[in-house]
Amino acid sequence: MTHAFSGKYAIAGMAFLAGRFPGKTARTLEVEAVRLAIEDAGLRREDVDAAINTRIESGSGESRGWTDSYARILGLPAKTYFTVQRGGIMTHLAILAATQLLELGIATYVAVGYGATDWSDTRGAGERRQRHRERDGLWGRPHGDLAAASHHSFFASRHMHEFGTTSDQLGMVAVSHRRWACLNPRAQMYGRPLTLDDYRASPFFVEPYRKLDLCLQSDSGAAFVITTMERARSLRRPPIGVLGLGLGEAMRELWWEKRNYTNLAVATAKESAFGQAGLTLADVDVAELYDCFTTEVVLQVEDYGWCAKGEGGPFVASGAIAPGGSIPVNTGGGLLSGYYMADWTPFVEAVTQLRGDGGERQAKDAEVAIVSGHGGEILRPGMCSTHGTLLLGRDA
Amino acid sequence: MSWNKPLPNVDADNQPFWEGLRRHEFLVFRCKRCGRSYWPVAYCRACPPEPFYGNMEWVPASGRGRIFAFNVHRFAFHPGFADELPYVYALIELAEGPMYGTNVVGCEPAEVRIGMPVEVVYRDVTPDGDAAPFTLADVRPVAG
Ligand SMILES: [Zn+2]
Repeated sequence: MTHAFSGKYAIAGMAFLAGRFPGKTARTLEVEAVRLAIEDAGLRREDVDAAINTRIESGSGESRGWTDSYARILGLPAKTYFTVQRGGIMTHLAILAATQLLELGIATYVAVGYGATDWSDTRGAGERRQRHRERDGLWGRPHGDLAAASHHSFFASRHMHEFGTTSDQLGMVAVSHRRWACLNPRAQMYGRPLTLDDYRASPFFVEPYRKLDLCLQSDSGAAFVITTMERARSLRRPPIGVLGLGLGEAMRELWWEKRNYTNLAVATAKESAFGQAGLTLADVDVAELYDCFTTEVVLQVEDYGWCAKGEGGPFVASGAIAPGGSIPVNTGGGLLSGYYMADWTPFVEAVTQLRGDGGERQAKDAEVAIVSGHGGEILRPGMCSTHGTLLLGRDA
Repeated sequence: MSWNKPLPNVDADNQPFWEGLRRHEFLVFRCKRCGRSYWPVAYCRACPPEPFYGNMEWVPASGRGRIFAFNVHRFAFHPGFADELPYVYALIELAEGPMYGTNVVGCEPAEVRIGMPVEVVYRDVTPDGDAAPFTLADVRPVAG
């Protein structure tokens, strides 16, 4: 039994820019992505009557101060403009907000945008320096907990300890993602194949993590336009339906619950999203999973149920998530080998696949895709708390 | 010692903890009703919350625990840590229950194991300039 929400709203337009854009502001990259997304939908800017900005965190660097909006710069007649922000579930929360604007009749076409200059901000320090630097107000800074890798590697440490997961198995996550990236001409690592031996030669960064366990840096802009399925059907591109949406938080439990270090907060998010959609995991054709580090992929293939808890290492090492495997995971190369746009990376790839625009990497008969989001640290040192599950589907 | 690393961020909620470290006491936030311990500030999950943490108090803990998870930093995200590499950053499961993240000192990184018993050791710091002195709580291996 599907929920009335399932399939009622659709992604009508989508665009992104990712890679290296020196000299461009995050604001301008977002403006350009929104402009392209409106054009992609076959709409005019006069049609867009609500605008949402998304941010991974609550203002650091450039975004600490900027309140100027792409809606003003583009000249959108938006009745409302606001920001949603929490870790790597930006597209999930934006869809939650945007569909309510549509449901209440406040808006007819909602634009959602994102912009970042992560590569330009860190280019002086080498490609794999982490943009995500901890700011004041957090606990571990004087002890050297300064970057996401400083505490995210605890997930790997625990998974290795409890289940015997190996460095080579994490390496196979990196290798699988690179194989997908080599099929995606837009990926930053396109044309740069990676072997397990290359991974083994990669230096430890925050052991057990090597450089190649960490995601990339990108300058980026991404955007989509969402409306009702009914309206979307008369537009330029095939509409991609929102089938289900769910959310989870590790902080529902004490933050030091041991299982929070070998599980992400998938359970409630999965239950809500699949419940609304009336689908099961077997219905998912393409999985676009938040892969800030290699271990997050291992955790999610277990937490969603593609394999049992603890068996994620052997599962990814078997080639199951690589091209030709049983479940295509992060078909554009993901955050590890494609481009870093937080949950926008899995989102844009899911839309690309469901439209059949995947080129060489197109998954066969892709009708249902999952987009996961992850992040929103609750304290240092700690773990990411938040998780989002979004199910998208081709119009039936 | 001169200090070229980030300073702790002390605010009204965690100030008693940092003051405790100055006295070489490791404090946890304990429920007056049932004795469950928390860190950092949190209401007891088992007891009714009273106004402004009224049922909670900062009390000295044992300063003992076990390594729950750890990593070895081989890259300095801040120039102040360049001379410290490689350093061990670990999540300690305190005897009282909560976890605490800190550096493991007093042994080589290769000797650190999950489950290893540790105890708190205090590191007094007097930064140059206007910053107030503070104390950090590291841990070192101890006989189980
Ligand atoms: Zn209590």
